Amino acid sequence: MKTDGLKTIGKLNSLGHLIILSLSSFSLARMSSPGANISLFGFIHIDALSSFFIFVTAVVNFAASLYSINYIALRIEDGDITTNKGRLYYLLFNLFAASMFLVTLVDNLGMLWVAIEMTTLISAFLVGFYNTKRSVEAAWKYIIICSVGIILALLGTILFSYALHSGTGLKSLNWTDMSRLAPQMDKNILKVAFILILVGYGTKAGLAPMHTWLPDAHSQAIAPISAMLSGVLLKTAIYAILRFGIIVNQNHGAAYMNSLLIMFGLISMAVACGFLLVQKDIKRLLAYSSIEHIGIICVGLGIGSTLGITGALLHIFNHATTKSLMFFGAGNVVSAYHKNNIHAIRGVLKTMPLTGAILLLGVFALTGSPPFSIFFSEIMIIAGAYLSGAHLATGLLLTFIVVAFGAMIHHFAAVLFGNAPADMPEVKEPLNLKLAYLFLLLPICTLGFITLGPLKQAIIAAAKIIQGA
Amino acid sequence: MQFSILFAILASTYMMAIAKRLPTLIQSFRYQSFFLSLATFLAARHENSVELLCVSILLFLLKVIAIPHLLLRIVRRIKANENIGLFINTQLSLVCALVFTYVSWAFSRQTLPAAGETQSFMFTVALSVILTGGFLMIFRMKALTQIIGLLVMENGAFLLAALVSGGMPFFVEISIFFDVLISMIILGIFVYKINKLFTHIDVHKLTELKG
Repeated sequence: MKTDGLKTIGKLNSLGHLIILSLSSFSLARMSSPGANISLFGFIHIDALSSFFIFVTAVVNFAASLYSINYIALRIEDGDITTNKGRLYYLLFNLFAASMFLVTLVDNLGMLWVAIEMTTLISAFLVGFYNTKRSVEAAWKYIIICSVGIILALLGTILFSYALHSGTGLKSLNWTDMSRLAPQMDKNILKVAFILILVGYGTKAGLAPMHTWLPDAHSQAIAPISAMLSGVLLKTAIYAILRFGIIVNQNHGAAYMNSLLIMFGLISMAVACGFLLVQKDIKRLLAYSSIEHIGIICVGLGIGSTLGITGALLHIFNHATTKSLMFFGAGNVVSAYHKNNIHAIRGVLKTMPLTGAILLLGVFALTGSPPFSIFFSEIMIIAGAYLSGAHLATGLLLTFIVVAFGAMIHHFAAVLFGNAPADMPEVKEPLNLKLAYLFLLLPICTLGFITLGPLKQAIIAAAKIIQGA
Repeated sequence: MQFSILFAILASTYMMAIAKRLPTLIQSFRYQSFFLSLATFLAARHENSVELLCVSILLFLLKVIAIPHLLLRIVRRIKANENIGLFINTQLSLVCALVFTYVSWAFSRQTLPAAGETQSFMFTVALSVILTGGFLMIFRMKALTQIIGLLVMENGAFLLAALVSGGMPFFVEISIFFDVLISMIILGIFVYKINKLFTHIDVHKLTELKG
């Protein structure tokens, strides 16, 4: 099969995403001063919070586009997909990326709902891309469970608009109007509406007990798409929850949202830890680790202090980069061994030295070991939780982090070390892949020590927006 | 007038809860959507609103004609067993639907104590439609019933939007329609795929992915 043409498409695609990345860093720098925002036609609203999420999305998209070049070509050479399907992949990839950008850009909460539903519909094709029994089953569960969730979120959105209409007489779904007039909205309706929003978008974010689609979809999707699902898609749902949460906070204080977020966060971590311990599939293992990290992010946001929220936002970025790196590595391992089962994959360090080393660094980074970036964001969240007096939550958080650390290291040690199968040839990684690894590894290794100026400013400004300042 | 339409919507919802075969279920869904579009049409005439009129026409075209037609076509094309496979028998299903209605009524009194009689009745009907839709998704076996359950839940959400908040902004409503149509088409494609790969569309047998 000829794949040169497709590789050219892939390279152009990466170039495009590099341009988007530089634009998003520009907007991040622009929005990092407190109070800065852009509104266009009452439809688009960009402030520090949205530009931070745009930046995270752009980083992961760029890395995934780099990784796709050879991965897709290899799939065609292996005969998993046809060349035409490879072209379709790039179309869907960009539609998926665009829908995630749309989520963070729109001001209107109804359009936010539409954008999030679009991300589900487009990525369902990417989950069921191989057209095997397992992938179609995963795609079906994904689309059905997330659609039910999103209908609950639609109900929540309707109730928010009702609360605004009955409180002020204004008929609008714009976030800027709602957050401005929040104190005049009915408290009880908002409480019910926020529960619906949290359960609805929480389904999309992978919060337990609504997480059941997540391990299926992440494990069956194409590797670069798994990285995007885990790295950014879950975060866009968190973004949506935050937008509604800000309105509720300005209406009657942050205590209500915070306790809910901490509760759901801890439940997610507990569920994820159980499944991490007994997991057999390498990609499902990473998927459950995503649920655990979403739990950590929710606890961090739920603490409500500046330390907790900035830690959670930083964690969003760190988890996006680290988890993408791990999915890339795991994707390579799976495509070389043609197996998903952890017990059947042995000696990755011998057969694929670079990918093995990346996975080794990555698993320590992911489980929160110093000196990697996740360690620093986790320590911020833990310190924030302790200082705010949530001692029980802090204790549980630490316990779950330790359990997850043990489980991940145990599984990955077996995969990385051990005796490689005798008939495995040594696999060499192409340049594009090395670039993708390097690009992700750079922030993972450095972000704990130096947080680059605009990113730091933007995170602080975004935390101020969440706290309603 | 408004009350009788709401009763009709509720009645068609109960019909869905006791339907045993796919064509019956789709037909009841068509009735429900028809009454929904009628309610929207009357509201449009009452408020002299062109936007609501457009919405009611779209509802009619999409949910009364296009989507049921598409669903029936899928049923014929894949030659699936027309029995929808009940996990809970019809009598018990009807009892569940009645309980949903009562719970929704109690809930509407709780959250909207200030609302008038009409408004809380609308709220009750909308909520019980949503709950019954969720019930259909969980306690029926076929992939198509999950799609129909989803559409029923969406109908309930529309009812709530149209009646409680006087409709959403026009372009939002249009985009939601567009979304519903796309999700229907995509779900239909996946039903074909499931039928081709598994040679059945019983979702309770999709159990390859676990743990």
